[in-house]
Amino acid sequence: MKQANPQSNIGATVIWLILVVLTLTTWRIGEAGMVGKSTMLLLLFIAMIKSQIVANYFMALRHTRLIWRAIMFGYFVIVGGLIAFAYLISLA
Amino acid sequence: MDAQSTHISLVEMSNYQLATGKKNLPGDFALWIFIFAEMLVFGVLFVAYAFTRAYHIELFNESQLTLSRTSGAINTLVLITSSYFVVRGVTAIKQGVSKQCAYWLTGAFLLGGIFISIKLVEFHAKYAADISMSTNAFYMFYLSLTFFHFMHVLMGMIILAFIIVKVRRGGYSAQDYVGVETGASFWHMVDFLWIILFPLVYIIR
Repeated sequence: MKQANPQSNIGATVIWLILVVLTLTTWRIGEAGMVGKSTMLLLLFIAMIKSQIVANYFMALRHTRLIWRAIMFGYFVIVGGLIAFAYLISLA
Repeated sequence: MDAQSTHISLVEMSNYQLATGKKNLPGDFALWIFIFAEMLVFGVLFVAYAFTRAYHIELFNESQLTLSRTSGAINTLVLITSSYFVVRGVTAIKQGVSKQCAYWLTGAFLLGGIFISIKLVEFHAKYAADISMSTNAFYMFYLSLTFFHFMHVLMGMIILAFIIVKVRRGGYSAQDYVGVETGASFWHMVDFLWIILFPLVYIIR
């Protein structure tokens, strides 16, 4: 059977492992019962890293025009920013 | 747009790619319009959840504790892994290895099935506890957001199933893999949205 070049998959495997570690970190924070502004911002920051990794590496947008990567990043900045704002006014 | 102007714009796009080395979006552009529209809808729901919570903090925090964070985390790992399998499938078809592509995509499809199964167990537990969308504002958002996402996973699985069948029949090759990239992009969007949904609904309090 014809085989795919294994070298081309090392990057994707490393990216997957990073996503797994970040997911487990998020879960551990939840299990530890951590709350508050810093925890909320940390969780959103982890979600931002994960979502941009998926967009740039899994969706392969890093090879595309800047506008498409800007849309994906801008989406998280706006949505994540509004979520953070809503949480901050609830803490005030 | 007539055939001639379509041809001209495609030539312009090719020239842009040659000049910059940058490609256009992977897969069919029409699906990307759909992806951006879906992201917009989910974005509005995420923000609506956060602002509703701001005025019902105790209710949301109390109700959130009834969710299984472990189930949510396992489902995140399942989706991330399925996305990785899809990446491997796309790489395989780009190298002309159809059989491996079909194996990876089948793996992703099966992981989608595991995600669906875990969600059904979660939904059943809520149903058994007499919890519905009308119970309170938190469950209204929790059930509608996760069910809406659940339907997208199902849709992604149907798309993957069609692609797997076509790959197995030799319908894609190293020269023609746009269909595989298109399905892959949709699947990654489902993953992208869950990555935000999981901490928002299950963890942040």
